[in-house]
Amino acid sequence: MISIRLPFAGQCLALVLLLLIFSWISLFSWSVIAITPMDALHALYNMNAESIAQHIVHDLRLPRVLIGIMVGANLAAAGVIMQGLTQNPLASPSVLGINAGAALGMATVSSIAPWFGLLGTSLAAIIGGGIAWAFVMLLGSAWRGGNEHGRLVLAGVAISALCAALTKAVIIIAEDQAAGVLTWLAGSLTDARWQTFDSFWPVCVIGLLGAMLIAPTLNLLQLGDDNARNLGVSLMWVKLGGSFLVLLLVGSAISSVGAIGFVGLLVPHMARMLAGQDHRKFLPIAMMLGACLVVLSDTISRGIIYPAETPAGAILALIGAPFFIYLVRKRTL
Amino acid sequence: MSLSTHNLSVGYHDKAIVKQVDLSIPEGKIIALLGPNGCGKSTLLKAMARILSPMEGQVHWQGKNLHGISSKKLAQQLALLPQTQPIPEGIKVKDLVAYGRSPYTGFWGRINRDDQVIIDNVMTETGIIELADQLVSELSGGQRQRVWLAMTLAQDTPYLLLDEPTTYMDLSHQVELMHLLRKLNLQGKTIVTVLHDINQAARYCDYLIVMKQGEIVTQGMPESVLTETMLKDVFSLNAQIHQDPIAQTPMCVVE
Amino acid sequence: MATRSLPILLLTLLGLLLANLMFGAVSIPFKQILDGLQIGSEHYFTVHEYRLPRTILAMLVGAMMALAGALVQGVIRNPLASPDVLGVSHGAGLAAVFYMSFFPNADISWLPAVALVGSLMAALMLWWLCGQHSSTIKMAITGVALAALYASCIDFLMLVKPLEINNALLWLTGSLWGRGWNQLSMLLPWLLLMPFALWLAKPLNLIHLGDDSAISLGIKANKLRLASLAIAVGLTASCVAICGPIGFLGLVAPHLTRKLVGGRHQILLPSTMLVGAILLLLADLAARTIDPPIELPAGIMTAIIGAPYFLWLLLRTK
Repeated sequence: MISIRLPFAGQCLALVLLLLIFSWISLFSWSVIAITPMDALHALYNMNAESIAQHIVHDLRLPRVLIGIMVGANLAAAGVIMQGLTQNPLASPSVLGINAGAALGMATVSSIAPWFGLLGTSLAAIIGGGIAWAFVMLLGSAWRGGNEHGRLVLAGVAISALCAALTKAVIIIAEDQAAGVLTWLAGSLTDARWQTFDSFWPVCVIGLLGAMLIAPTLNLLQLGDDNARNLGVSLMWVKLGGSFLVLLLVGSAISSVGAIGFVGLLVPHMARMLAGQDHRKFLPIAMMLGACLVVLSDTISRGIIYPAETPAGAILALIGAPFFIYLVRKRTL
Repeated sequence: MSLSTHNLSVGYHDKAIVKQVDLSIPEGKIIALLGPNGCGKSTLLKAMARILSPMEGQVHWQGKNLHGISSKKLAQQLALLPQTQPIPEGIKVKDLVAYGRSPYTGFWGRINRDDQVIIDNVMTETGIIELADQLVSELSGGQRQRVWLAMTLAQDTPYLLLDEPTTYMDLSHQVELMHLLRKLNLQGKTIVTVLHDINQAARYCDYLIVMKQGEIVTQGMPESVLTETMLKDVFSLNAQIHQDPIAQTPMCVVE
Repeated sequence: MATRSLPILLLTLLGLLLANLMFGAVSIPFKQILDGLQIGSEHYFTVHEYRLPRTILAMLVGAMMALAGALVQGVIRNPLASPDVLGVSHGAGLAAVFYMSFFPNADISWLPAVALVGSLMAALMLWWLCGQHSSTIKMAITGVALAALYASCIDFLMLVKPLEINNALLWLTGSLWGRGWNQLSMLLPWLLLMPFALWLAKPLNLIHLGDDSAISLGIKANKLRLASLAIAVGLTASCVAICGPIGFLGLVAPHLTRKLVGGRHQILLPSTMLVGAILLLLADLAARTIDPPIELPAGIMTAIIGAPYFLWLLLRTK
């Protein structure tokens, strides 16, 4: 295991710096209309209303970066909570079916009742993800605790397959909405605007604060359900509360930018390598790492077949899937 | 000698568990392989049944290397009852026992009348004839063990290699099994079996082979092998040897 | 059990064959179907050119996928194993998409061979990652992880080279739509694998008893495993090349069949082909008639039936 043992504060500082640099790069790189690095900075604090480049930065790039940061932090926090609740190193929104469930909910509502609008589809995504997650937990017998890691993952995979099939069926039957749903399914930051940002940030802040509050309890869960109960943890409430937080975090992220996979799987492990096993420390680290990862892959996704864009989700999947295999191989299941 | 090992080393993943063993199995006898856990008795048995390939040395069957003989032909000479078996789904007892005839059947596995006679015989002898139409997966551990034994017997080979055949059986079935082995032995079969119960081995077997840490410590008739010093050396047990009041065989009593 | 089940299965199959010819966007009465086979009749195009090859294809593909599943489950002794769970179908899909996007002008009849190479590589990859000593669930998860990897590569390729994205998408959902006599003739040579598979029935019974017993009964366990996996990969690849990955069929069909006729492969293998054919015919019929004239891919129908079955299996596996 690689451990870079900077003190905690130093790690935080380094990650914040890294995040700022990535965001800055993301603001000016790969644009059809040339943007200089200085344009990007000027647009932030001293906007020149005449410059098209600075308008692009302010109206398109900035909300995109901010949303990318929030999405990354949300998904990483959700991954940490899920892995803590299930004590399963493979737990994450994409592996355990939440993404697929949310996609199904969203596809169903937007094709059957499109007049519900953004709020309706967000709600549908959260409800769909919640139902899928409940099914996976029940079928994978994760409520009972114990070491049934493989079963939980396979249950997640089967639920994902089922939801994916139903989603495709819905898309095909309700053809007219298909294009929108398909772009959304791939998980892309292309359509991130200030409007999305406005409805996203309150939920994001509540979710992340909640995650920090639950972190000490997650430490106790590492000792096993029985020991945690001995130490006065109410398992029932922790698991319900944790699940609710996960849904809030994942649901808000998914309804803003679509199903971005593998962040929740990848980042908690990286964070553990950096900050050790204490949730109070590696949870904030994970949030910052997640933000860095999403901003970075969004930047790459714009550049890789420039001038066309690939969804950031596809880039993340390419990085994430080999890591998933590595985890399966390394861990004894 | 029909079955013998020459300077045989076998093991798993490059680690030899049986080390340079020279052994000749005496023909027409019941032979027990004894020794503490992990001494290599099951590994030796598996090597003799060509389940494991030697890392060094050879196993000979009638003077020829075991791995050079056609596997179907060998399956008509040697049968092995492994220590643990999977629980096959959707297989009836009579089907499983009939699988024992496969070294003799054609490519589609059709059972002819002679095969059927043998199958019925072994099912009667092992006391599972009334279970014939049940599914193997629905039986108890002891019943299942007898079904597997019947399958091995249906192979109708002059040599039988059994790896702890009494596992899961209650005491009366254990005794029945040992009597059955004696009966088969009288019909001319050579039987090599791994046993845990030293007294059972001394009472029912003609020849004992004692192993420790992959090597053969001693072998011979129960009277000569079963001594207090051997028990101390191999099993780290302080025990006395008495005579079994009924069978007149040696019997160890732990102090 | 077997003697009762077989005639029922055969009758069901015949009934479904007929139903697939009769129903669809337009219903054609039974009498006119026979007329439809003659050139020049009113329904000639619908029956002879459209529904007949598609029905035969559904029957064959269903049978082959089910057979492949039975072979894989037979040698791996894992109820959760099947070509699609082990990532073989996705491997075939990846190779095919790769081929279509980088050689857009190449001959389409090479597709089965390309898919075969892809699924072989996927099988080797799994073998390399898991080795022989992995637990069943670990193997299944590794397969699933590999499938996820291939799926993301497919997505990526389609996004980077969006040449014939619609064609590829249609093909990747696993559908019988638009398949005709041409595709059927491409599949025919692969039917030769079926007798070889049946020839393995007896040793497959014995490998079911564990490697030790099987070897002691005169079976060469490793060779058998290689042979049946190779046949299974060949069957899967040829089907995937023509219809795309039709999920869960190779998993569900052998299971259902084992419940119906027991575990002897001499009966299991032929019956599972019947069950597979029935399931795919049913799925395709439903896919065509659920909301005409829109068609759902048959692969979606099989996933909707198959995924819950998989979950149920998972609950039962200790």
